[in-house]
Amino acid sequence: MDEKREQLDWVAAAEVEGEKPPEVPPHGPVVWARENLFSSVGSGILTVAGLIVALGFFKGMLGYIFGADRKWDAVATNLRLYFTQAYPEDQYVRVWVAVGVAMALAGLSAAIWRANGRITGYKLGGGSFGLAGGLLTLLLLSPFSWRARLIYLLVALVFIGIGQYLRSVRPKLEVPALGVIVGTLAVLVGSLWVVPYGKHTFVDGQVQPPRPGTVAMTTKLPWTVMLLVMIVAYFVGKAVRDKVSPGLAKGLLSAGWMLLLPIDYFVILRDPALDYGQVFRVDVPIFLAFAVAGSAILWWLSSPHRGEIGRVVAGAMVIGAGVFWLAAAFGLSVRQIVRIDLVMLAVVALAAPTFAGEKAIRRKFIIGWVVILALVNYLAMMVNTPSTVDVPGSFPLGGFSLTLLVASATLMMSFPIGLILALGRTSKMPIFRLLSTTYIEVIRGVPLITILIFFKIILNLFLPDGMVLGNEMAAILGYSLFSAAYLAENVRGGLQSIRKGQYEAAAALGMSTPQTTSFIVLPQALRAVVPPLVSGVIATFKETSLLFIIGLFDFLRIGYVVVGGQTAFVGSQRENLLFVAFIYWIITFSISRSSVQLEKKLGLGER
Amino acid sequence: MVIKWISQVVVLILVVVGLAFFAAQAGSNLRAKNIDTSWRFLSVNPGIQLGEGIDVNPETGARALWVGMVNTIRVSVVGLILATILGTIIGVARLSKNWIVNKLSTTYIEIIRNVPLLVQILFWAAVISNWPELTHGAGPIDGWLIITNKGIGLPRIFPSIGFYQWMVVVIVGAYVGRRVYNKRETEREETGRETHALVSGLGVVLAFAAVGLLIHPVFGFLGPVFTAIGDFVGGIPVFVVQLLLSAAMVAAAALWIKRFLDNLRTPAGLAKLTDDDIFRIVFAGFAALMGIVLVFIVWPGLSAWLIHSSRDFFHFLGDKFEWLRTGRPLDAERPAITQTGRFPNFSSSGLVITKAFGALLFGVVLYTAAFIAEIVRAGILAVPKGQTEAAGALGLSRGLALRKVVLPQAMRVILPPMGNQYLNLVKNTSLAIAVGFADLVQVGQTLYNQTGRTLEVVAIWMGFYLAMSLLISVIVNFFNVRLRIVER
Amino acid sequence: MTGLESRADMIVCQGVKKWFGDFQALRGIDMTVEEREVVVVLGPSGSGKSTLIRCINRLEVHQEGRIFVDGIELTNDLRNIEKIRSEVGMVFQQFNLFPHLTIMDNITLAPIWVRKKPRAEAEALAMELLERVGIPEQVDKYPGQLSGGQQQRVAIARALAMEPRVMLFDEPTSALDPEMIKEVLDVMKELARTGMTMIVVTHEMGFAREVADRIIFMESGEIVEEGTPEHFFTNPTEDRTKLFLSQIL
Repeated sequence: MDEKREQLDWVAAAEVEGEKPPEVPPHGPVVWARENLFSSVGSGILTVAGLIVALGFFKGMLGYIFGADRKWDAVATNLRLYFTQAYPEDQYVRVWVAVGVAMALAGLSAAIWRANGRITGYKLGGGSFGLAGGLLTLLLLSPFSWRARLIYLLVALVFIGIGQYLRSVRPKLEVPALGVIVGTLAVLVGSLWVVPYGKHTFVDGQVQPPRPGTVAMTTKLPWTVMLLVMIVAYFVGKAVRDKVSPGLAKGLLSAGWMLLLPIDYFVILRDPALDYGQVFRVDVPIFLAFAVAGSAILWWLSSPHRGEIGRVVAGAMVIGAGVFWLAAAFGLSVRQIVRIDLVMLAVVALAAPTFAGEKAIRRKFIIGWVVILALVNYLAMMVNTPSTVDVPGSFPLGGFSLTLLVASATLMMSFPIGLILALGRTSKMPIFRLLSTTYIEVIRGVPLITILIFFKIILNLFLPDGMVLGNEMAAILGYSLFSAAYLAENVRGGLQSIRKGQYEAAAALGMSTPQTTSFIVLPQALRAVVPPLVSGVIATFKETSLLFIIGLFDFLRIGYVVVGGQTAFVGSQRENLLFVAFIYWIITFSISRSSVQLEKKLGLGER
Repeated sequence: MVIKWISQVVVLILVVVGLAFFAAQAGSNLRAKNIDTSWRFLSVNPGIQLGEGIDVNPETGARALWVGMVNTIRVSVVGLILATILGTIIGVARLSKNWIVNKLSTTYIEIIRNVPLLVQILFWAAVISNWPELTHGAGPIDGWLIITNKGIGLPRIFPSIGFYQWMVVVIVGAYVGRRVYNKRETEREETGRETHALVSGLGVVLAFAAVGLLIHPVFGFLGPVFTAIGDFVGGIPVFVVQLLLSAAMVAAAALWIKRFLDNLRTPAGLAKLTDDDIFRIVFAGFAALMGIVLVFIVWPGLSAWLIHSSRDFFHFLGDKFEWLRTGRPLDAERPAITQTGRFPNFSSSGLVITKAFGALLFGVVLYTAAFIAEIVRAGILAVPKGQTEAAGALGLSRGLALRKVVLPQAMRVILPPMGNQYLNLVKNTSLAIAVGFADLVQVGQTLYNQTGRTLEVVAIWMGFYLAMSLLISVIVNFFNVRLRIVER
Repeated sequence: MTGLESRADMIVCQGVKKWFGDFQALRGIDMTVEEREVVVVLGPSGSGKSTLIRCINRLEVHQEGRIFVDGIELTNDLRNIEKIRSEVGMVFQQFNLFPHLTIMDNITLAPIWVRKKPRAEAEALAMELLERVGIPEQVDKYPGQLSGGQQQRVAIARALAMEPRVMLFDEPTSALDPEMIKEVLDVMKELARTGMTMIVVTHEMGFAREVADRIIFMESGEIVEEGTPEHFFTNPTEDRTKLFLSQIL
């Protein structure tokens, strides 16, 4: 029956080809307006009311922004304060290097992940019309001079012309999306050379032109370099991508993104002063000892013939490491790094049976261990070495860079915690479930601010003697533990969406529970919850503004308190808040937009 | 199997030991700093002044925190109502076929959702600061609507002396009105005639309220009755209340276990219990036991507190009634401006939305409304198109189809995330601290700055917000169960 | 059917055209259905059958041509549409029962709220209809607890409860398991015997042959051929009809 129907479909399709082309019903702006604005009396009233609201809103907003007595100088003069607070000028090249690393990674990623989306001429034309519409609104509703309005009108007409050309003449034209993005960025960076956005000093009520010389004082050259770095990285990636295995390249890049934050912060921005004698006497030997001994143990554990003994040994190692860690409280003095390494080794050992198998897999497993060990030890060494960058106050970063640091550190730390909590809450083991559920529900039941205050004020009371956590680190810890609970709930949604058949199929293939979880369940669950995870990221990013309340110099505090409190700019709080809001908005809006794109892509991938 | 249990117990022990370790550390650190944990600060005068609330010069720490809680609840309740109304309107507007209404609501949502709430609250505070100075005769409508940089003054209606006596009549009226409504509704269903059930029901209530204005002095006789009840409650021995509480907890646990087992019962008899099920049952029993320990040993004051507060409640009610007392049930007053020091300020009359309250309220309402709008929209979209079509094919008008077919199904999808948003709103009011509104967190912070009792204050914060979360989830859950759709 | 008595025209379509975007779904349909007539619409999927009957109920809006139901023309006037919809019953492929209401409430909802019937009367009618479709015992259950065939029978009862003058069936058996098709078709046959005016879109050839007074064959949005079942199945004139029949039989 079904087969027959399919054939019929085919017949029907074949017949349609021969028919006369369908008559197109009438379309036009008047019809459009009647259908979409004045379809009934009620709709007409709504349209008029809506128009009045919209006009009032935009007129008020633009009138405010472009009003003559607005103090936008407060923002323009303090851009450096806004983004890096008091990072010393003579060391400022470090900031650019840190940004450059991210740019290079972005360029490489675009090449390796083959960002080859295309935009049609029709869509580009729509964008052009949109721009023109924005300009027209601007010139109609803003308090501009007639001369300025004329210029805006001309520019708008040019955009309308481009849009009309693209829509009617070249609607099928296809442009790489990447090209459009880079082109837009190039226009923005290029405009730095022409338009003086940021006026850098403000003395006696006068805006001073930027002093030449230092990189810190002018941004046009560095941003041009950044853009070039990204483009060069893209082409390097493009040249390399066919010569290496895609899995390796993607893995390395992912690791690079994960390491971006610690490397940028601890190595580049803090610039630790290494004492090489100490390094070779202590740090390197510890690393070598763990690398060699650890590899031997793991090799033995991951042998396919080990069986139950392996698990028992690994479990014993975990308990041993835990006891060793707690022993510090009772006076056992060992270097912190040794304890960390021991715990890491124990955790990796637990995973060993999962990777038990042929030699090649075991070798990869061992290499993975040595690489992780090296990274952790290197970072720990850098963290423990005093910084050479002399910053007033205890923390080198402030303003937007602090906001970004807290947000990304929170995301990185909350992810593993949240994952464990979600697995715990869905596990069949009642005590794990009870513990995770209690934790999640308690954390979700209280406001973030109480947790932040708790961590800022009281945490140090709970720590062993001699151990002190800086305010920033305490805040990051508080944020991480808070977001982890929400993340766990999102992941749980994904875990529960996995159908029973998947578990049964994995069991039928003889996979163990950890194997099923890590190779079958988690990949599917995480893919299913991408949209809520992205909303979680956005929420975390917005929540960083609460740093303001616990007295840290984040983006909001710089704008509201520091800049707003400068004697030259008394009463500029609304301007500063609008600027802060605008930057937050740009970032969260683009994240949510790209998440929609990602969703579509993932949705297509499923079919 | 055995390994599973061993690993769980080991983790449990590790967690307990870890917590104990931190607690011990905290204890020794506190002793080293000569700080001891105690709740005495709750009963002494903290010497602080609060920005606004039912009592701006609280005599004890507990009273100060109570004022903060009331403020939190006040802003939360007003916020919940306004955010729900605004959010629903915007959510429906986003589904509108009218292009401009649709785009406007989308713009609203995209702007509001993507800017941190704290920034918005501070922005509103800054906006209010730029409103006109507060002066005598400030407008726009002097004596009725006063908009100034210190807040907004509005007329208010408030319960006066005769209110409680009058309420007795109104409550009776509400009961009778409900009966009339039900009767009329049945009549309409049975005969098919329009009987205006809602109008007649409300009419009865209004009639009672009007009559109550005249006859309420008679109900003063209830005063001694309430006082007597209060005396009786106050006379109950603590021991009895403890027993009652324990019995209630055991009964609750037993009921839970019974229902749990009923769910597992199959026609072939009780299903085999898994470890997990046994653990749940044991845990329920254990929880009841812990409750009893709490009532008798850990916190014996709880029962006494229950007795005292119920006695005080009835005595409070009793004081509000007096035989043949004639006083207006409701009163109204206009906002006014007085000057005691150098600057004029709002007097205590009228409804004054202070700058801090206004900034916080605008912030949370506008912010939450954007999220509620998305939920409402998603909920309505989640009802399959076929449902509307089927309703239309049966001849139901669009309004009727929305009311009888679409909304009941959309509510099911809307309610759980809506509960989350309500919870978020309540938690977000804690950002009041940034604009100096005297909510629980702000009062708590002032209090621990004065007394150094940080740990205790944080514990009270968490307890309060957890209780609020629990309350909201219980309410949402109640409606959710009622709306559940039966599947095979 | 005798065809001697004169019967009123129940549904009249004149040059009905309908587009979805640039795709033309109906290319000028002229059709008349008389009172008490059973018309079965056949055709390959995508030929516009469903669109046609959805236009008759104004679930879709036609852009050109005119449609009359019982002498009333379908226009944008809301009162007209509601009047027509309460005269025309419709049964959907996906049942579209209201999952939050019991079977009884599903059936009585429209009679009570649209026809303003007393509840007792509406419930008595509902019971009668449930007896007729053979599932009176399910009255207090929810749609989710019923099988597909039972749900479709409830849907028919629900449409009949409005005492419509015409019934439209949009592939009523396509979403059903084979063993449930018969129970629904039996109800429809019984309904046809009582003299209900029916337009049925279906792929069930047996039903068409047995019950239909007239068969309309559609393809690519046009009526290709129409006639009695006998004529249609044994002696079709058009090549496209022959091709269709050769593939389906």
